[in-house]
Amino acid sequence: MANNEWEKVKEALRKPATPQAMKEAAQAFAQYEKASLGKANSRPTLVNLGRGTGYPHAVPVDKIPGELATNPQFYNLMKKIVTKEKS
Amino acid sequence: MPVSVLMSDFDLPTRSASGFLLRYIAPRVEPVQLLSFLARRLPFRLSAPQSDIIIGVGHGDKDSFTGQNESVILEVGKYNPREVKGKVIKLLSCQTGVALGPDLIKNGAKAFLGYKDDYVWVMDADLASTPWADELAGTCLLPVVDGLNALLDGKTAEEAFEIEREGYLKNAAAEEDDLIKSCLEFNYDNAVLLGDPAARVRRRPNITIPLPPPPILLPV
Repeated sequence: MANNEWEKVKEALRKPATPQAMKEAAQAFAQYEKASLGKANSRPTLVNLGRGTGYPHAVPVDKIPGELATNPQFYNLMKKIVTKEKS
Repeated sequence: MPVSVLMSDFDLPTRSASGFLLRYIAPRVEPVQLLSFLARRLPFRLSAPQSDIIIGVGHGDKDSFTGQNESVILEVGKYNPREVKGKVIKLLSCQTGVALGPDLIKNGAKAFLGYKDDYVWVMDADLASTPWADELAGTCLLPVVDGLNALLDGKTAEEAFEIEREGYLKNAAAEEDDLIKSCLEFNYDNAVLLGDPAARVRRRPNITIPLPPPPILLPV
């Protein structure tokens, strides 16, 4: 189940960071999140050691859809992590 | 010869990463540990020239590595080469492998281990006061610890680098969560070793500590 949802996240993140693509990626990630990390652990948070990147250092996994929908820099970070493509 | 260990801990990612170093690395190195508010330029400038290895956790970008509250510690062209000459340097930070790492090597560092893009992982924010107990974060951070321990065991920079990278692959193969797996693969792809792959530091005794360190009491 979670695996299918993850494939949808990957597919959505392959598109350039347009408002429509960001919205689709946010929806896909929200579906994935329901089926995965949120259940087993108390407060999973995606963190990074970047500086002046335009996205937060820490994003709770359940807040990733909101960040994906509104922040193109964060969308591009997730694109790199998930699809291994450079933006 | 002391080890310069910089461990900033002012936000969730620095607290998580520094927590693992505090638990697994700090006990076996001499007490020049620049933790929290000491992770700043002046204490680093004083301790670094006497060290044979510099280990740092902090936020970074292509040109700079920072300590507590993102105060700049090393920046391309803005440090004394004496601070880095002849040293093995490991920076757990984002993107410092792009320009800062090559600059450190150009200024005499023996080897540099870092990352050419962001360093990312998933942590449990509820465990911020006992970060070493965080199994989610350990998936990514324990390979870093294993690489550092290899260096402190007297292995070469290249051996330590490979131990860290193999750790990411091993954990990725066993990981069921796709986001964590992607983070492991991303960090694997972006890890870089610059300079002399055969560089070594003085071997430190391996100390098995019976108890974990006390919890970090600062508010999140």
